[in-house]
Amino acid sequence: MPLVSALAASHAPNILLEPGREWEDFMDLHYSMAPHGSANRPTLEQQKKLRRDAEAAFAVLRDDLERAKPDVLIVVANDQFVNFFWNNIPTFFVTVADEVKGQFTRHSFHYRNHKELGKNIVRAGMEKGIDFSYGEHVELQHTQNVPLHFLLPEPKIPILPVYVNTWVDPAPSPRRCYMVGELIRAVADDSKERVAILATGGLSHFPGSPRIGEIDETFDHKLLEVMRDGKGKSLVDYSVQDLLQAGDTEFLNWMVVIGAIGDAKATYTAYMPDFVATGWGFVSWKL
Amino acid sequence: MSCYHLSRLLFDLKMNESIYQRSLQDFEKVMGDYDLTAEEKDALRAGDPRKLRQLGVHGMLCLYIKRLQPQFRENIYWMQK
Repeated sequence: MPLVSALAASHAPNILLEPGREWEDFMDLHYSMAPHGSANRPTLEQQKKLRRDAEAAFAVLRDDLERAKPDVLIVVANDQFVNFFWNNIPTFFVTVADEVKGQFTRHSFHYRNHKELGKNIVRAGMEKGIDFSYGEHVELQHTQNVPLHFLLPEPKIPILPVYVNTWVDPAPSPRRCYMVGELIRAVADDSKERVAILATGGLSHFPGSPRIGEIDETFDHKLLEVMRDGKGKSLVDYSVQDLLQAGDTEFLNWMVVIGAIGDAKATYTAYMPDFVATGWGFVSWKL
Repeated sequence: MSCYHLSRLLFDLKMNESIYQRSLQDFEKVMGDYDLTAEEKDALRAGDPRKLRQLGVHGMLCLYIKRLQPQFRENIYWMQK
């Protein structure tokens, strides 16, 4: 059955932190690493508005997702030194666990994991020349938990976390990520279940970099325009360096979804820079 | 030159509660459990992420040294991963 829904959303931790003390705490630590960024420190009112705007964007995505009545949600995200360390960095990883759990401040997350779909993707990859890493245990982190809090607050359906290495060098090319998306679409096409897919991360930000605090809004708007025009495949010609320069390496997660949906036009986009570190982006493709 | 062991200690400060608690008690002893150079130990003692970055540590891991600093020990950041 063809994919029934495709989504993309930022996973910045401050989306889910409460405006006020939690944001202030987060910013205190952030600005201790990047004192130059504190000039734009958002006020409480700005924090509240960002939260409201993000909730409104997530509400659109959640409505699109629920209307598609999926049986499973594939979540394409990156690790950030939670499950993977320098002893083994998988370029692409598929979770073949029975269940997955995680914690974000006071929010707990616990989902069934769609093990069979995961194995089918790994097997299909081996036949097509994409050798995924895979494993039976991962801990969900903010890269999944932040969007899932808004999009799948009740664990009504299983999820399937798929990881892309976006955070350490060397990372896969946008073209390779697109190919992974094509492979996932083929597996979904062969499935009797209704498969939805979500990419998380981005947009422009520079975590752990001396450029932390910069947001390349121009580049982000260009990406969103390309997605609205249904020309996502044109992005395969970007290099990792192109994305890195704009602080958009987590867009590699989005490239997997773009590979899965082909030339479908985004039906909804929203964008809001958070004044702290990240351009928050939200996209839905009604398929 | 690899900074694997230095990176590992920083990773453990966030991900391994036992290592973190031991580090609060006696960071010198914990550093002794890792294969670190004198320069790396000095950078850790300084608690300055920029010095750790200069030694080749990934920026995300550099941040974790802040968890030992009194003003950041209760920071909300450590309550999520």
